[in-house]
Amino acid sequence: MNEQNGSRRSFLFALGGLSTSAWLATSWREIAVAADHAAHVAATTPAQFGFLSPADAADVDAITAQILPSGATPGAREAHAVYFIDRALATFFADRGPAFRAGLEEFQRSFRKALPAATAFAAANAGEQVAFVTSVERTEFFQSVRVLTIVGTLSLGQYGGNYAGTGWKLMGFEDQHVFSPPFGYYDRDYAGFVVGNA
Amino acid sequence: MSARTFKTDESVDFVVVGSGAAGGVIARELSVAGFSVVVLEQGPRLNATDFEHDELKYTFLHGITNDPVASPQTFRRSAADTARQGNGVMNPLVYARIVGGSSTHFTANYWRFHEIDFNERSVLGGIPGTAFADWPISYRDLEPYYTRVEWDIGVSGLAGSSPFDPPRSKPYPMPPLPVKSSGVLLERGARKLGLHPFPAPMAIVSKPYRGRPACVNCGFCIGFGCEVMAKSSVLYTMIPEAEATGRCEVRSRSYVFRVESDPQGRATGVHYFDSEKRAHFQKARAVVVSANGAETPRLLLNSTSARFPHGLANSSGMVGKHLMFNQQTAVHAVFEHELNEYKSVQVTRVVHDFYNSDPRRGFYGGGGIDARIGRQPIGWALASGGDLPTWGQALKARMEAFPRSMVAAGHATSLPLETNNVSLDPTLKDAWGIPAIRVTYKDHPDDLATARFIRDRSADIVAAAGAQKIWKEEVTERSLSVHLLGTCRMGNDAARSVTDKYHRAHDVPNLFICDGSSFVTSGRGQPTMTIQALAFRAADHMARFARAGEI
Repeated sequence: MNEQNGSRRSFLFALGGLSTSAWLATSWREIAVAADHAAHVAATTPAQFGFLSPADAADVDAITAQILPSGATPGAREAHAVYFIDRALATFFADRGPAFRAGLEEFQRSFRKALPAATAFAAANAGEQVAFVTSVERTEFFQSVRVLTIVGTLSLGQYGGNYAGTGWKLMGFEDQHVFSPPFGYYDRDYAGFVVGNA
Repeated sequence: MSARTFKTDESVDFVVVGSGAAGGVIARELSVAGFSVVVLEQGPRLNATDFEHDELKYTFLHGITNDPVASPQTFRRSAADTARQGNGVMNPLVYARIVGGSSTHFTANYWRFHEIDFNERSVLGGIPGTAFADWPISYRDLEPYYTRVEWDIGVSGLAGSSPFDPPRSKPYPMPPLPVKSSGVLLERGARKLGLHPFPAPMAIVSKPYRGRPACVNCGFCIGFGCEVMAKSSVLYTMIPEAEATGRCEVRSRSYVFRVESDPQGRATGVHYFDSEKRAHFQKARAVVVSANGAETPRLLLNSTSARFPHGLANSSGMVGKHLMFNQQTAVHAVFEHELNEYKSVQVTRVVHDFYNSDPRRGFYGGGGIDARIGRQPIGWALASGGDLPTWGQALKARMEAFPRSMVAAGHATSLPLETNNVSLDPTLKDAWGIPAIRVTYKDHPDDLATARFIRDRSADIVAAAGAQKIWKEEVTERSLSVHLLGTCRMGNDAARSVTDKYHRAHDVPNLFICDGSSFVTSGRGQPTMTIQALAFRAADHMARFARAGEI
């Protein structure tokens, strides 16, 4: 796909559109510095949220769990995606914090309007959550949470998510630096290359 | 790091702008030949231990590529449009900003161009509205230098494995890398269709070679620096050998912003900023610009003077013109069992049956097809479009299919058009106050038709291989590329080209230009092998001119 996957070829496509790319416009150097700092803080203090209130964190966690659900295999919740999101908004994505908070408040308002009897999105049952997310899946806020959930689930643990490599396990990706053939099913019994069209 | 340093007021024999695929080769060849050389590289110098498997950083946050915030570019489809800057995510022209240049982060596909690539205009005839032309050199002229690349830099492959390969004077120095499941499937599907797949030539060593270890199959090649030095980047090959001569200094974090020339029209050296943005001037007897197909024309256009009011070496007006990207296509395929494409090098099998243009198709163009990983995990999960699920159990199921998936990638021609070009943006400047690149690009209809043709042949192959699910990425007009070609084309006609066939600027006798900008036509992708063959050849002629007192 590109040469960045080729990738660069269809870069915006790869990112899932402009709403995705807006989240990835920050220099990695800023992120790396902030992530190092955040990792140090996390290592020296009990796990706590720095940007989200406990109630907001519960809602965001519930949204991430709808994006990548738990089940027979782990999902975003087991990957601690909400901790990545919180850490990102408290540090390297701090400039996007106000917009995220406004988007979350709108999400919560809309949810209460749709289900007046519900106390919070996090407290709703799975069917209600799926129905509501379906109704807002094209909003910029949901797309933002989607991007952050995926990045938080699959990026290096030093950025705050992908707890214990959970995201990679979900993808069937082995985090190793050395592999030996055979690499997959189809090259196990390869008979060797024959010149021409034999 | 460098074995030798030079003072800026010391006139070295050659100053080379850019330490990438071409600059690295030229620095090594000239210093081995006995000349003093200073290489100026805008990016930092990193080593194998500095690289890491960090997809977020390398793929999405331009960790080692040109930064769209500090070095922005603008883009437009035609001269009638106002060029606009992106949103800071990625520039339209992407390259590695690091010692070793894009040879550090490339995929390392290293097929040679075919004979037809150099004389296609003569064989097929002209194409109205384009600058389709023959090269001023033939494949035969370049063949010895392709061999130099394979042996001096280190390329794995199997000579004689493709019936379409051009003649060669030596076999590859080492065998192909181990085949992956995607390679087996491409081979299986292609053979069922009567095609002729062959082991991919790769600039990654399959066995210990010239002091470097064999590839350990970690899988992080495309967009990443190699952590074990098995990828044959000039960072690990040419540059250390140049420095070992004691006649070459590689000066990193040195951003050249102007080539100086005297009233007689000779280059006298280059102005550059150091890491603290302090300006310096490096004197030299001759200047070599190998800054890549984006930055080379920009530098020349920014080097105006009374004698060269439209940019250095630009009396023809051809500097920056004829930008070519290569068409690139992707067909995703999911199979029953695991392929685990994230392991090992990206490509192990290639098909060249559709390389040549065929008038019966109704359009000009041709290309190659290979098998590879599509995206690393984050890119894979973020992908959207078509009927791809973006959340919920369906997204999770798609992510779980990651190990069973591959891409059949197409690489094809782009026609040279004068209207596709690199120019200077009239208002935008970079973080150093230097006018930024403005890209004007619109694919020729034949290029898009070729892309669709190659993509559909790729789909045929994975279907024949037994794919359970196939998804063809849409072919759309390009606005972004890592192949930066044609912007200072070589030629015999000084009115229609920037350099002669020896890479010497028509207008400036001691200015040489060699990189992707030198291309006359695009080939079918995988340009770095040919860039380096050109560089070996160019260095031979530079040394010859220098010995003859002609610089």
